[in-house]
Amino acid sequence: MHLGIVKMIGRRILIALPILGVVSVLLFVVLRLLPVDPAAMSMAPNATLEEIAAKRIEMGLDRSLPEQYAIWIGRVLQGDFGTSSHFRRPVIGLVVETLPQTIELVALGIVVATVLGLAGGLWMFHVRGTYQEPVVDFGSTLLMSIPEFLWALFFILLFGVALELLPFVGRLSATYSRPNATGFLLFDALAVGRIDIFLDALRHMVLPALALGIAFAPSIMRVLRSSLLDVYHEDYIHQARLRGIPERTLLTRHALKNAILPTLSLMGVQFGFMFGGTLLVEVIYSYPGMGNLMVDAVRNADLPIIQAVGLTYAAIVLVINTVVDALYLVLNPKLRAAA
Amino acid sequence: MSAAAASAMRILPAWMRSGRVIIGLLIVATVVACALFAPWLAPHDPEEQDLLAQLLPPFWQSGADPLYPLGTDALGRCVLSRLIWGARVAMTVAVIAAFGAMILGAILAHVAGYLGGAVDWTISRAVDVWMSFPPVVLSLILMTGLGAGVRNVILAIILVDWTRFCRVLRSEVLVIARKDYVAAARLVGFSHTRTLLREVLPATVPLLITLLSIEMAVAVIVEAILSYVGMSVEANIPAWGQMIADARREIHHAPWGLVLPILAILITVLGFNLLGDGLRRTLDVRLNQTREG
Repeated sequence: MHLGIVKMIGRRILIALPILGVVSVLLFVVLRLLPVDPAAMSMAPNATLEEIAAKRIEMGLDRSLPEQYAIWIGRVLQGDFGTSSHFRRPVIGLVVETLPQTIELVALGIVVATVLGLAGGLWMFHVRGTYQEPVVDFGSTLLMSIPEFLWALFFILLFGVALELLPFVGRLSATYSRPNATGFLLFDALAVGRIDIFLDALRHMVLPALALGIAFAPSIMRVLRSSLLDVYHEDYIHQARLRGIPERTLLTRHALKNAILPTLSLMGVQFGFMFGGTLLVEVIYSYPGMGNLMVDAVRNADLPIIQAVGLTYAAIVLVINTVVDALYLVLNPKLRAAA
Repeated sequence: MSAAAASAMRILPAWMRSGRVIIGLLIVATVVACALFAPWLAPHDPEEQDLLAQLLPPFWQSGADPLYPLGTDALGRCVLSRLIWGARVAMTVAVIAAFGAMILGAILAHVAGYLGGAVDWTISRAVDVWMSFPPVVLSLILMTGLGAGVRNVILAIILVDWTRFCRVLRSEVLVIARKDYVAAARLVGFSHTRTLLREVLPATVPLLITLLSIEMAVAVIVEAILSYVGMSVEANIPAWGQMIADARREIHHAPWGLVLPILAILITVLGFNLLGDGLRRTLDVRLNQTREG
């Protein structure tokens, strides 16, 4: 790999780690403002006051806030996020179970968003200057106004209730049991050769993935359209046209190559946010992912889960940003030379 | 103020010519009117339960009751009245939270972009930290710490979304602060505060207004999300997200109960987005729009 890229990724990680540190402090402090007692929450309802007091000392809640933070972060670094006060289980297990589900959903959502976004962007560019342009333009504003959770509800109404085409509750039909291996259900189903489970799981993901993808597609469309418009103002396009290169080749061979860069960088940012978008979509589809876990935890004031999931989200966003920056560098020769 | 007023005069005709701005303003004005005049517009008390008239369909379907034009929910509450009252929560949050986020974000952006150096570095790193959370996740975490209620929803949105203003405005201020007329103002002996307010701020106002309109759309969505998961207003105050959550349980018996609040949110958000989009075009603001769900 190019040395500049390695250096640049190293620099990104050096920036990302302190950010993650500050995020952990923020998470800790915000959640300590809560008027609930983590010790009392973690015990059975019939625990005596003495038992709770003992638990408080055991959990280090009688110490100063910085000391408590040090204890907490020390355990987190060893993979110990504490025990969920609601599920009475180690939090790390819950995160490890739900994270792959969310990653699979986002991956599928990314595919939908990319296909729709690029196709839509090309189409918006294609109708430029025609009578269709204002209509398509208005359509894109309308699409931008529909957040993923409204799409999610709309798809349930249309494909789930009215047409009864697709399931809209959960991850897998009750008749199947999930194969256990990596936790990535689609992957595991294929690994044990159960095409039926794979297809059933996929059917359950179609609507939530579609809701996520279609919500994130319009901004991709718009950026692709406007980058194409920018590129077509460049001299080299004009000259290529003078050389008699057909419009189609002009678009695919010359313009798209340059217009795709800003689009990719936007898509990177978007996909970080898509993890946030899964939150309510998962709740609406009762999809057993990290978003559902988070909302449950918030409703139950389950602090260890909120802290763990919050930290995981931040880590994911930082990882995605780093990967996108690196990709951008790999794809853009100009920046590569500079790095 | 004169510079701002002059530039406002210059943009006025362009505003009028933009269909988007006009439609956007009409939609927003309608929703605001619903919010302001809810007690007079709503045919019923939004919390009044008529247990003999549960899950009535809207007027265009058979079996509808003319007393309840848009039908009733599972507790026999008037859907139309709840929609109208729901506009109150939505608009209160949208307007106050968006202005709050704008003020906080704009102040930090101007200070960072204008002063540069360590101040700029600190504020930019704070933005980085904030942006490493998906906004919905961060607002949920804040709501956990703050507790439910309209005031806390507003506070949470301000504390999450100031970065949207700060990030975009800062780079704008960076450009403007290097302009000759800003340097000239300093040479004439203007203080930093006066330069910022009289020379830099008027130049960023078009971007500020555009962002404000888009932020109101975002705030409506965030409030709906929070009230859907039960983290927004108290249960006795009607909110659109809450209506959706209630109707979700009756989806097989009464799909209209779900469709109507969805439409209310959609139309309101569309209004703000059209307004923002029209302003962006007529005020010639360069802006990368991203969906930050």
